[in-house]
Amino acid sequence: MVRDRFTIYCDRPIPSLDMPNALAYEVADRKQEGRPLYALVCKPEMPIRISVMRALKGLEIPSILHMVDWGVAEWPPVDRKCVIVIYNRPMGGRVMDSMAGSFKRIPDHQFARMIVKPIADGLVELASKGIAHRAIRPDNLYFMDEARTKIVLGDCVTSIPAHDQPVVMEAIESSQAMPTGRGGGSYTDDMYSFGVSVLILAVGRNPLQGVADSEIIRRKIQQGSYATLVGDERMPVTLIECLRGLLTDDPEQRWQATNIDLWLNGKRLTPIQAKAEPQSQRPLRFADMEFHSIRPLSYAMYQNWDKAISIITDGTLEIWIRRGLELNDLADGIATAIKSSNAMAGGNKSDMEDLIVARVLMLMDPRMPVRFRDFRSFVDGFGQSLAVTMLRKQKLQSHTDFISRDLWRHWIAAQTKQAAENQQFENVFRDLKNYLKDPNSGDGIERCVYELNEWQPCMSPLIEGQYVMEVKGVLPALDNAAKTANTKLWPVDRHIAAFLRARYAKGTGSQIDAMNDSRPDRATIGMLSVLAIVQWRLGPETLYNLASWVGGLMGPVINSYQNRNKRKDIEKELPKLVRKGNLAELYNYLDNPEERQRDAEGFTWAKAEYASAERMIYDLEHGQVDRQESAIKSGRQMGTGGAFVIMLLTILVTLLAKLL
Amino acid sequence: MNKSRFFLYSLIAIPICLLIIPTVIVLGVAMIPTGVAFLMERRKGPYGGLTVGCMNLAGASPYLFDLWFGGHTVPVAVGIITNVFAWMMFYGAAMFGWAIYTTTPSLVSTFMTMTSGRRITALRTQQRDLVQKWGPDVESVYEPEGGKQAAAVNQMSMAD
Repeated sequence: MVRDRFTIYCDRPIPSLDMPNALAYEVADRKQEGRPLYALVCKPEMPIRISVMRALKGLEIPSILHMVDWGVAEWPPVDRKCVIVIYNRPMGGRVMDSMAGSFKRIPDHQFARMIVKPIADGLVELASKGIAHRAIRPDNLYFMDEARTKIVLGDCVTSIPAHDQPVVMEAIESSQAMPTGRGGGSYTDDMYSFGVSVLILAVGRNPLQGVADSEIIRRKIQQGSYATLVGDERMPVTLIECLRGLLTDDPEQRWQATNIDLWLNGKRLTPIQAKAEPQSQRPLRFADMEFHSIRPLSYAMYQNWDKAISIITDGTLEIWIRRGLELNDLADGIATAIKSSNAMAGGNKSDMEDLIVARVLMLMDPRMPVRFRDFRSFVDGFGQSLAVTMLRKQKLQSHTDFISRDLWRHWIAAQTKQAAENQQFENVFRDLKNYLKDPNSGDGIERCVYELNEWQPCMSPLIEGQYVMEVKGVLPALDNAAKTANTKLWPVDRHIAAFLRARYAKGTGSQIDAMNDSRPDRATIGMLSVLAIVQWRLGPETLYNLASWVGGLMGPVINSYQNRNKRKDIEKELPKLVRKGNLAELYNYLDNPEERQRDAEGFTWAKAEYASAERMIYDLEHGQVDRQESAIKSGRQMGTGGAFVIMLLTILVTLLAKLL
Repeated sequence: MNKSRFFLYSLIAIPICLLIIPTVIVLGVAMIPTGVAFLMERRKGPYGGLTVGCMNLAGASPYLFDLWFGGHTVPVAVGIITNVFAWMMFYGAAMFGWAIYTTTPSLVSTFMTMTSGRRITALRTQQRDLVQKWGPDVESVYEPEGGKQAAAVNQMSMAD
């Protein structure tokens, strides 16, 4: 049940409307029964576009599938909470069942009105709201009506931007990135995917179906996207101009909505001339191929990573660029990158070579994503890529290398066109590098993932299943988790600490620092203080299960009191406080400064007393010989004194007897 | 003591002794144990002689008063020193003085040992109470300054 209104039937799936990262189910609306809706239940291992969902919810945009609502709800099939998005149900089904499928061609004279116009209008609407769709492909287009006349763009929120896009649908730059590292993208990226979709629908099938991704990219680089996609196909003459405009590889020259409007209104536009890349008369031979320009060589070098280092370090590449292409700035840049990488990388030769290849590729083709062996990501896509990798519990080495080895900095430095956002990236990644260096709870790679992904739910194994996106949801989730969790472990693990620090640094920063104290008692009280401050500021009033859990972990805190009587008092009082469910009260009781002061002073006094007693005992035990001597001396003195007294008394008595 | 001073003291003492010759006779006989005690205990200080001397004098005092109140003549003095009971009194009192001198040190020592043992027990009890209330962290081992220095010297010598 979503928002107490929409009932999702987990036993009534609609496979035909499934998305790559969300499964479709039937929905009933309590308020409007019979309304044609369907729900997409998002897979937990894929981050979703919450900010876009918030913008699109309830928004009526023609030609965009209408999102009625969304919410987080318990989903019994996976026994956890999932995000569920509710859409108006497209009654005509998908335009193409899959990318391998076919489409019954629409007559040329209707094509622009039925497909190009509505989708272009929808994209303009989205762009005006700052949203890039990034899931435009023929199998994500739907007919809203059963008559299959009204076409709409499908869901774009159930996975990160462009994640599910086949390589053929993406521009050259984006297609080289890993699906998780394509970044947010832009309107021009949408226009490209739109162009490919139009082309596929015009042809009636995907002309590059069955061609390997690397081959598609290679061909697009060599021949250009339009030529690659059209190939030998017969294109409707009316569409050629539009497709050339949309499939231009230079994003700055790519057609936008205004161009489409003019084209639809019959205005003939100046044909786009692709900017020619510098060509060398003398080819460079690499990996059994000959190259005359930079871009194809750059891609081939990436494809043959291990071979690339040889032409870089032996100077072949630099000389070719300097003499063949006469790009002295680029050659100088490569020489500098090699020198500085040699100086920076330290001991490991293989690491140094990888860094050199990555930096040289950045300089050769700055528009491409960061390519570092198997890792390929745009700087703005790094956060999402990290989140997906972490959710899938895969190795994070490439991601930590990306931050710690300054790949982001080299990529930004390599950009020939300095965008304003690059400075922002630099600041962000500088902070991330510091977080990564800090091994303490609340920092590390976990902090990086939450800092980079505003809506990333907490990934702690304790509360992962409860889809906690906001700080105020953490404690109720932990309270719930306390019923089944291993209560010997701390409720604030690395993920929760990082989540709180990223989302609520002002409120919990110093408490998390205390939690990292090397002394177990200070660390434990720090952990309690983290939870207590969150409950005190954000609620809820009572957390019975969590209080009981935390209460059971307070052993080190109780033992930090030196006074055994005080410990017993605390042990007696603790269950009463736990039953109240108030962590702030528990914290105040356990870390009362006056009590602490009293305990410390008492302990100091007791130590002094013990030491004094010890000294006296030592003196008494070790003064045996002295005491014997002293006893003899005193005894003799006393004897003499006694004898003297007896003498005086005797004389006195005798004298008195004589006198009286 | 130089000769001139000895001569001076003799010049004063001899006329006095001649004036009180009966008393000197009685004391000369009665105080023999005191002299012996001073001789025997001369290395251990004056207490032995003093204790025996006090008791010896106390024993002699009734006869001295008899002498002084009975005319203070040499025949009375001779009568006293020839009296067996007087001798018993002089030497008995001196013996008692010796007994006091020999027994009081051991008595005092026993008392002091008993007192310190009780004190150690009390201190140990106090320490146990402190440990029970404040835990083993209050415990410490006392090492006197001299002991520390000795340990340091030992260590240095071992290092050498």
